[in-house]
Amino acid sequence: MNLALILFFGFVAILLLALGWALRKPRNARNLKSDPQALEQGQRHVDYLPQIRQALAKTDYDFLSKRASRGAQRRVRRDRRGIALNYLAALRGDFQGLLRMARVIAVLSPDVAAAHEFERLRLTAKFAWQYQMIRWKLTVGFAPLPQLDGLSELVSGLSVRMEAALKELGERAALAAELASSMDRRGMSAV
Amino acid sequence: MLRDLAQAQQILWAVNIVAGVLLLVLLAVRKNYRAYPAFSLYVLLNLVLGILAFLVYSRLGFFSNASWRISWTMQALVICARGVAVMEVCKHLLSHYRGVWALAWRILVGCATLVLLYAGLAAKHDLRFVLPKAARALELAIAAVIVAVFVFLRYYDVEAKREDRSLAIGFCLYSCFSVLNNTVLERFLDSYVPLWNFLGMVAFLASILLWTWTLRRPQTEGTPKTLLPAGVYQTLAPQFNLRLRLLNEQLAQFWKTEATRN
Repeated sequence: MNLALILFFGFVAILLLALGWALRKPRNARNLKSDPQALEQGQRHVDYLPQIRQALAKTDYDFLSKRASRGAQRRVRRDRRGIALNYLAALRGDFQGLLRMARVIAVLSPDVAAAHEFERLRLTAKFAWQYQMIRWKLTVGFAPLPQLDGLSELVSGLSVRMEAALKELGERAALAAELASSMDRRGMSAV
Repeated sequence: MLRDLAQAQQILWAVNIVAGVLLLVLLAVRKNYRAYPAFSLYVLLNLVLGILAFLVYSRLGFFSNASWRISWTMQALVICARGVAVMEVCKHLLSHYRGVWALAWRILVGCATLVLLYAGLAAKHDLRFVLPKAARALELAIAAVIVAVFVFLRYYDVEAKREDRSLAIGFCLYSCFSVLNNTVLERFLDSYVPLWNFLGMVAFLASILLWTWTLRRPQTEGTPKTLLPAGVYQTLAPQFNLRLRLLNEQLAQFWKTEATRN
């Protein structure tokens, strides 16, 4: 087989795949568009952190391991895994909401800095990779349940910083959400 | 077989010319040349050079060196015109968003340069078929630029005008096909020439029909979007990135905790 033949056919195949992906409507586009309030959900799941933290607390698990049957322990482990997965999904939702808001602002800005845009792209790729790896690990049960305690600790530590960032964004975020909803109403058409 | 193909080719040539004239008339009657001047010029040039190529081939024959050189020079002109028309369509797709367009066109130029380099490196390094190779590189760059624009549209969640999308898709599919067709030509040389020409014309006819359908109604130039004050992006973008980074850190620390405990 000729090398040039492989290189050019391969490149064109990649281009066509990319074209197909770019022309396809995103699966969650409708949800995001119909509910602009979703952009502010970042704050909501942080509100439930104490409950999540309690559900993942090591002491609870220790208590159960002494008193409850194996079946009950297994069920608790499964439930905890579910909580961790839900928490990951919530993080992802936060990330996507923020990303969408940032893109709306970039699209409507007369001057866009390449550095910020590339930084966001890099963060998106990094998040997607980490998210999939952790999710896969949790789903197949590679992460023993006591390890999940670390999650609540680091989340509670970071939540303080996140809250501060959210407060700082405050009114501006609301403005951006309003912009997003107005763009959705207009269908964001180019003309 | 070859005789049948040559006959079909001649019929297709005439069909292509008729389709080209029809598109040109449509562009003029619907006054779409105002919205798409470069595209109109490309269609006109393509038509004129197509007729010229027909005359050259009937005078000098299909396999003579002179007709080969003349037709490829004309082809180079057409591809350059296509490049300009593609830039026009890309501008239609994105330029209403001034900030993103300013970023996009630089990336598109970079992307086209890289693809040209790739095509140069991937091609065999001999002096035969220099013109087809250059044409293939340009076609590949055109296809890559259009795909990059669509990726931009998807990334920024911008819904483009259907007509602009159809024009761009027509260009992209035709360029992709030309790359493949020229690559096979390079591999099989003379034995593939009749089929190569025939398939090229079929692909072009398909593009012309798509464009004709797209431009059947009058098009208007879009009005520029009302944009945010310049300071909003500069203030908000770093804060959004900071929050995205925090979310990433949250995941990263979770990941590290998992890794160290395993």
